[in-house]
Amino acid sequence: MKKFIAIILLFSISSLLFAEDVITVKGSDTMVILAQRWAELYMKKNPEVTIQVTGGGSGTGISALINGTTDICNASRPMKPSEKQKLKHRFSSLGVEIKTAKDGIAIYVSEKNPIKELTVQQVKDIYTGKITNWKEVGGIDSRIILYSRENNSGTYVYFKENVLDDEDYSPSCQNMPGTAALVNAISKDPNGIGYGGAAYAKGIREVPVKADENSSAYLPNAENVKSGQYPITRFLFMYVKSKPTGAMKEYIDWILSEEGQSIVVKVGYFPLR
Amino acid sequence: MYFWQFLDVIYTIQSVILKENIVKSFFSLLIAVFFFHLTIFAQEENPDSVVVSTKELQEQIEQLKLHNESVNEILLDMKSYLDIARKLKFTGYMQTQYQGSNGIGSAQYPIGNFAGGTFPTNVGSRFQVRRGRLKVQFENDLTFSQYVLQFDVTQNGLGIKDAYINIKDPWVKSWNMRMGVFDRPFGFEVAYSSNFRETPERSRMSQTLFPGERELGAMIEFAPEIGDWTNYNLKLGVFNGVLPTANENDNSKDIIGRAGFIIPFDEINFAFDGGVSVYQGSVRSNSKFIYTFNESQKLFLVDSTTANAGKNYERQYFGVDGQMIYDIPLLGGISIRGEYDFGSQPGTDGSNVFYNSTAPLYQRKFYGYYVSLLQNIGTKHQLLLRYDVLDPNSELEGSDIGAPGKNGKIGDLKYSTIGLGYLFHLDDNVKFTFYYEMVKNETVNSGVAASSTLAPYKTDVNDNVFTFRIQYRFPF
Repeated sequence: MKKFIAIILLFSISSLLFAEDVITVKGSDTMVILAQRWAELYMKKNPEVTIQVTGGGSGTGISALINGTTDICNASRPMKPSEKQKLKHRFSSLGVEIKTAKDGIAIYVSEKNPIKELTVQQVKDIYTGKITNWKEVGGIDSRIILYSRENNSGTYVYFKENVLDDEDYSPSCQNMPGTAALVNAISKDPNGIGYGGAAYAKGIREVPVKADENSSAYLPNAENVKSGQYPITRFLFMYVKSKPTGAMKEYIDWILSEEGQSIVVKVGYFPLR
Repeated sequence: MYFWQFLDVIYTIQSVILKENIVKSFFSLLIAVFFFHLTIFAQEENPDSVVVSTKELQEQIEQLKLHNESVNEILLDMKSYLDIARKLKFTGYMQTQYQGSNGIGSAQYPIGNFAGGTFPTNVGSRFQVRRGRLKVQFENDLTFSQYVLQFDVTQNGLGIKDAYINIKDPWVKSWNMRMGVFDRPFGFEVAYSSNFRETPERSRMSQTLFPGERELGAMIEFAPEIGDWTNYNLKLGVFNGVLPTANENDNSKDIIGRAGFIIPFDEINFAFDGGVSVYQGSVRSNSKFIYTFNESQKLFLVDSTTANAGKNYERQYFGVDGQMIYDIPLLGGISIRGEYDFGSQPGTDGSNVFYNSTAPLYQRKFYGYYVSLLQNIGTKHQLLLRYDVLDPNSELEGSDIGAPGKNGKIGDLKYSTIGLGYLFHLDDNVKFTFYYEMVKNETVNSGVAASSTLAPYKTDVNDNVFTFRIQYRFPF
């Protein structure tokens, strides 16, 4: 019995001592380009560290963290209590949440769409199916075609909870596998509307959004997101199982440094400070 | 000529490989246009061929556009099926194991009955498929309804584990209503999935009070995901009160409930969860012989009134449970879990599993508990220690069992078990478990006759069990 315990302890300790500096990052599709840029630059400066980045969605990343198959999970929404509970059961840890950047959720329409602005309430009514024609919000007389993300997306969850007040999406929503696919669909659909990270808003038009009827409308640019005037903003998170140490701590510290935050701006998101 | 061959290749690639992606189709188109320009540049010396090529190219582009349209139509059709497929989830896990005991299976006393099933007579080691689960779930996220069916396939055959319908309230989305066969909402361990549980089996207490864990009934659950109440949960259900998938045998229903809380300290990665549970039910006696224990006399007294058969007798449990976690920097998370249950249980002379028999009914007061300590080492290794106790008759000492003038039974024996384990998570699918449990029974009065069924319990029976288990789960 003693031998058995000794072998187990030796095996466990040796695997810890000889662990390589390989950091795996998985999760949010919204953050995948940002995470890749961070990793590329950091590896260039620190060749002894290998960082592997993959997407899949916030939900997928959180599952990977719970299963121990990723070191860092990128998430564009906070972890749910049920997910924290699973992490607790597997690792006896609550996980550590790190805010890495800010993002404004842009409302996209086709460049051909003449709509000038929308209130948050109108966006909610459009996505819950209460408003179905563009003329109801000052546009042309044409049916609104809804594009959304799939339910494993952190953006989907954030939008549902914070814009739709947790009401259900209209059944007519077409769910797209990623923001790039959503943007592509809207660029071809003059009656389409979609949402996603500001960094993705290429080839289509972002609609200025008002908090309510009495407010001014703002675009999701750096100034408006940082000041909080743009009404649909969120944090982009990293989650790790335990308080980061060693190579992972150095990497996360670098992400939060001035240099790491400058990448945030280059990719199209907004720095924390 | 080469250009058209190349275009054909692009077209073929697009048709065969890139069918699913419109963006990629357009990318192919762009490549085609790029090569078209190259061709024009290369053929400047022959303007006639340029005119012909342009025409043909335009036709090809039109064809490509048409092709894209048709791909779009196919995709839309496929999407409707894909949407259904996304709602359908298949998950499962299999646990295969080798077990060895320091004793040999005997007709006189059981070995391994709380470690995966009693060893057959004269058998001291065995291979088993302990669990072979396949779970099918269909979730409609618009109506918040869920269908769940879980099978268990082992060397003993096929069984149903879960079969229920769950409906979430569409307004605040914090309430669930569930009906069918599912885990009884009592304590922590009963509802803690075998897929995730670190010990091979639940404690003797949980297995005795809730054999099979599940039960036929209906339950409401309050478990908010957002808002101020996320750290509280409540489950309250009404159940048949018989074995998991057995038919109801009386008109009374059992009520089971648990109120739980979570106290997280995110800054220091510490949390304490806990809950209190209640089971209020009864069983119907099929015998007129009802034995109740008289504590002062240390005797079971029998009531044999004919009308006793068909009467209901109290089955009542109370429980408290707590789970503490703390993430130790550089080492890994530590978890300490405990549960203490007590109450009254109708059983038989040889067993304190709840009464569901034609034998005389024995009413006993019991208590039981377990404490477990789990230490993570990194992300792949876990060390485990568990101590569990079940005293089925808390009013009777072992030395009184078999004593002259007393009538204590095998079903009154107290057991304590120490379990030591190591778990290795190879990847997100495979887990290895090494677990050794040392089972200690209460010893009976030394004066017990050799011919008595109590005789083997004059000393601690050799019934320790070592388990080596491999678990494979999917998807992950």
